Amino acid sequence: MVAKGDMVYAWAADAAVQEKGECGGAVSALLKYALESGKVDAVLAVKKGADLYDAIPTVITDPAEIAETSGSLHCGTILMPKLIKKYLNGAKDMKIAVPVKGCDAMGFYELAKRNQINLDNIIMIGLNCGGSVSPVSARKMIAEKFGVNPDDVVKEEIDKGQFIIVTKDGEHKGISIDELEEEGYGRRANCRRCKMKIPRQADLACGNWGVIGDKAGKATFVEVCSEKGADLVNGAAQAGALATEAPNPKGIEIRGKVENAMFKLADKWRAKDFGELGEGKERLKTIMEETSRCVKCYQCIDQCPICYCEECSTKKPHLVAPGKLPVDFMFHLIRFAHVSDSCINCGQCEENCAMDIPNALFMHALQVDLEEMFGQKPGVDMTLPILALVDEKTERKRLNDTGDDQIFNIFINK
Amino acid sequence: MSENQGKLEYVPTTCPYCGVGCGLNLVVSDGKLVGVEPFKRTPINEGKLCPKGATCWEHVQSPDRLTTPLIKKDGKFEEATWDEALDLVASKLKETSDKYGPRSLGFQVSCRTPNEDCYIMQKFARVGFKTNNVDNCARICHGPSVAGLSLSFGSGAATNPFEDVLNSDLIFIIGSNPVEAHPLAGRRIAQAKKKGIEIIVCDPRYTPTARLADTYLRYNPSTHIALINSMMYWIIEENLHDKAFIEERTKGFDELKETVAKYADVEEITGVPTETVKEIARRYATAKNAVIIYCLGITELTTGTDNVRSLGNLSMLTGNIGRPGVGVNPLRGQNNVQGACDMGAYPNVYSGYQKCEVDDIRHKMEDLWSVTDLPEWYGASLTEQIDQCGDPIKTMYILGLNPVVTYPNSNHVMKSLEKLDFLVVQDIFFTETCQYADVILPGTCFAEKDGTFTSGERRVNRIRKAVDGPGESMEDWRVFVKLAEKLNLPGFEFETAEDVWNDLRRVTPSMAGLNYERLNRPESLHWPCPTTEHPGTPILHIGKFSSADGKGNLFGIEFRQPAELADAEYPFTLMTGRLLFHYHSRTQTGRAAILHQEVPESYVQINNEDAKRLSIANGEKIKLSSRRGEVETLARVTDEVAPGVLMMTMHFGTGAVNLLTNDVRDPMSKMPELKHCAVKVEKITEA
Repeated sequence: MVAKGDMVYAWAADAAVQEKGECGGAVSALLKYALESGKVDAVLAVKKGADLYDAIPTVITDPAEIAETSGSLHCGTILMPKLIKKYLNGAKDMKIAVPVKGCDAMGFYELAKRNQINLDNIIMIGLNCGGSVSPVSARKMIAEKFGVNPDDVVKEEIDKGQFIIVTKDGEHKGISIDELEEEGYGRRANCRRCKMKIPRQADLACGNWGVIGDKAGKATFVEVCSEKGADLVNGAAQAGALATEAPNPKGIEIRGKVENAMFKLADKWRAKDFGELGEGKERLKTIMEETSRCVKCYQCIDQCPICYCEECSTKKPHLVAPGKLPVDFMFHLIRFAHVSDSCINCGQCEENCAMDIPNALFMHALQVDLEEMFGQKPGVDMTLPILALVDEKTERKRLNDTGDDQIFNIFINK
Repeated sequence: MSENQGKLEYVPTTCPYCGVGCGLNLVVSDGKLVGVEPFKRTPINEGKLCPKGATCWEHVQSPDRLTTPLIKKDGKFEEATWDEALDLVASKLKETSDKYGPRSLGFQVSCRTPNEDCYIMQKFARVGFKTNNVDNCARICHGPSVAGLSLSFGSGAATNPFEDVLNSDLIFIIGSNPVEAHPLAGRRIAQAKKKGIEIIVCDPRYTPTARLADTYLRYNPSTHIALINSMMYWIIEENLHDKAFIEERTKGFDELKETVAKYADVEEITGVPTETVKEIARRYATAKNAVIIYCLGITELTTGTDNVRSLGNLSMLTGNIGRPGVGVNPLRGQNNVQGACDMGAYPNVYSGYQKCEVDDIRHKMEDLWSVTDLPEWYGASLTEQIDQCGDPIKTMYILGLNPVVTYPNSNHVMKSLEKLDFLVVQDIFFTETCQYADVILPGTCFAEKDGTFTSGERRVNRIRKAVDGPGESMEDWRVFVKLAEKLNLPGFEFETAEDVWNDLRRVTPSMAGLNYERLNRPESLHWPCPTTEHPGTPILHIGKFSSADGKGNLFGIEFRQPAELADAEYPFTLMTGRLLFHYHSRTQTGRAAILHQEVPESYVQINNEDAKRLSIANGEKIKLSSRRGEVETLARVTDEVAPGVLMMTMHFGTGAVNLLTNDVRDPMSKMPELKHCAVKVEKITEA
């Protein structure tokens, strides 16, 4: 029996699941058990699309299909919680288990705060994440830096500071991430700055860091982060789906070291990226110049885990003139004002920007400044943002009914 | 359906709008489209989309879709079964053909439709009725590119891929506004700028693309030939031409040199000072690798083909062809404008540009299609068919086109369509053109059928069926299978879109290697690709040109004025263009909520000085008239256009620019002069 705060080595009891899954298949076993036991109605996970560079989400209700989602896909850069909000009614009428990266977990909290997702219906199985690589840049990197035809790669992984590929002929080739990134390859820019490496705000935090000794590569390090997480692990163990053992104390230490090393690397990238962005007017000038390329594809809004309003201010003609290029800077100011205190640096606004505007960099820089000023840390728990958060429709009705123009009427609420 | 309950399916496919061919995922839940999500794996756009692409699913499930065949009885459309409708269509086609012969039929297919639909329609026309009166709407966008680039290089297609601009040292953009019309190709230009690649934009209008340029050059509308001849004069004068390339790979240099000798100073024609021309000529000629990008600003004129050949001249004069980072690239406006031509929906060629007039080719096609007596004559082009309505064309079949809004001189189009004995319109919405039809057949859109689109870089991209079409609607290629069955035509026994494609491969050597299995990869392939082992051809003309003798042709081309110039009565020059937020006649983008909100109605750009002189305020409704018609539209006062010049977009059925445009044609490519006509501007006085 495990409880919140415990750590275990875990692996699938079923040999086939072990074989298919990563590091002993513990996550696959937990997902399968969650479905079989009726703890959830569905699992939302990613599986291979066109090939191993293409991750696509899939909703699974048949436990037998869990195998399709086994194994890691470092080129999978989709954000799960926004998909649940958009396409699965915010999990308001079904229970869903979801494997989550750090950014996914943070996104769940931010959308839950805004009443867009019912977190009670979600089981988050956290996955340690050192970062992900956009598919096209991964292929370019493999062709140009590894000298390998990307179509010949059958597996990729990020381990011990290296990006490692395995070819169809069984050849392993690894290059250090530092080296790759110095030359402009490697992880997405937001991932480099990310410090949510072990997502402890999920129900479980799972990964291979700290699995040593005879269990290395054969078990998953699981940190139990909530009662819900403990319940799932205990249930799976009792049902004979999951085997566990106490972790090697040395392994726990190593896991901490890996995480700390990742933090240091992220700090280095933050210093570099934010440094280059400059301060004050210089920063504003850069932002204005870069955003002047905007073609209003609205992907920075559609894909953002903070944005949820049905009546978006960027679409109000008195704020942003419709149908006009260059787009009024107000478009971007509205986003900064509405998102920056809660930005989780998931990178979607940048990766999906039609004109390669470094949107995530701008927003993340603002968020870090605001966090320093106000101590507001987004994405880790249900603490509301700096300004009182209101339900959009209720607030609009209140403003209309009273003629008040004080949005977020924090004085009355307090 | 129930087993899909709560499922979320991604169907990777190709955007139905411009010719960039962006990949995207259609999201399907419970058998319904619910959205578009990025397809980050595609190398073309890496998941990024423009406002049109991101909303391209919205029109698909519109309640306005055509859902059942309609037959006009006593002036009113009545619902009919497919059997009734197709019996009527088959019998009318046969009756017309029997009574009046092959020139009495006209077939027109939209570049919006997949290759499979284009191929089968031209095969149906040729096999069924021995007519070459088949054309597609490339005729009114890049017909001059097909003609001009074929004459210059031996192949009428873009030479290099979009991403290849990043290998260039200088990008020369003329008559093209990719940031709006081809946003994800525009992205490549923005990437190039970040990389420090020099960008020159020549355009009468200060477009969003011009804002990216290191050098923006405004010239008088439709004076390209003079400008480019002058550039070439100074390149030769300053001895910057590539003599080795000219010697080894081209013909016609002496003729070119002699012609451009007259163009040292063209300021009077173009409005561009000679020093400026010299400077850009020098920069283009001395860049190690320079690429030319152009679009409809070059083609939609009576000099369209000559304009294109002029750009061919410029590239060959400086040896900028046949390697990475160079080339001459027309940006294709429609998703399948390249493919519709490739498929032989063209009045003088079969698929793969195999010429009908060549006996050997015609006989080969007769063998492959198991028919006899295929016609050798040059069929009537798109707008020639409109002119020929009534005589000799009696029956017309229009697939996916809306000529009443999109062809020049709308009043003439409407009058012409009325002269037909019988008109079939196959479409997804009840367009303005449907009113003139006798039978309307409900087709399916890109999300409802399998097939392929060939993008502007000759890349053949898959589209995949995500949902069923509404009501009784039918995959468009299947309509021809059924018609062929009713007419007992051989060679139409297709069960899938892939069967149609394989028939195309069988008769088209340059595409024989492109099977669906290979096209299913996100990278897909660029034609030519003659065998299933061939890697495809991203860059054309390496080592030698595609022409019969392998040489590129330089031409001496004289400047000609457009057919209708501004004068005392009609003092303004009206140009046409496109908007970021809309696509063609808005049957689709007008049904996407945000796009409609961005630009809900037609407007005209007018220069500040002109507006002041005529006391026209920004946003005021004004009247524009030409010799052919008049429209009311909103004034958008700006310095983006020069004094005396106006710009309207082609998208709006109300306040439609084509009531004004000129239908006079380029003699070589039959392109009407959509981009240049004379108009007058009047204030609307309250009654």
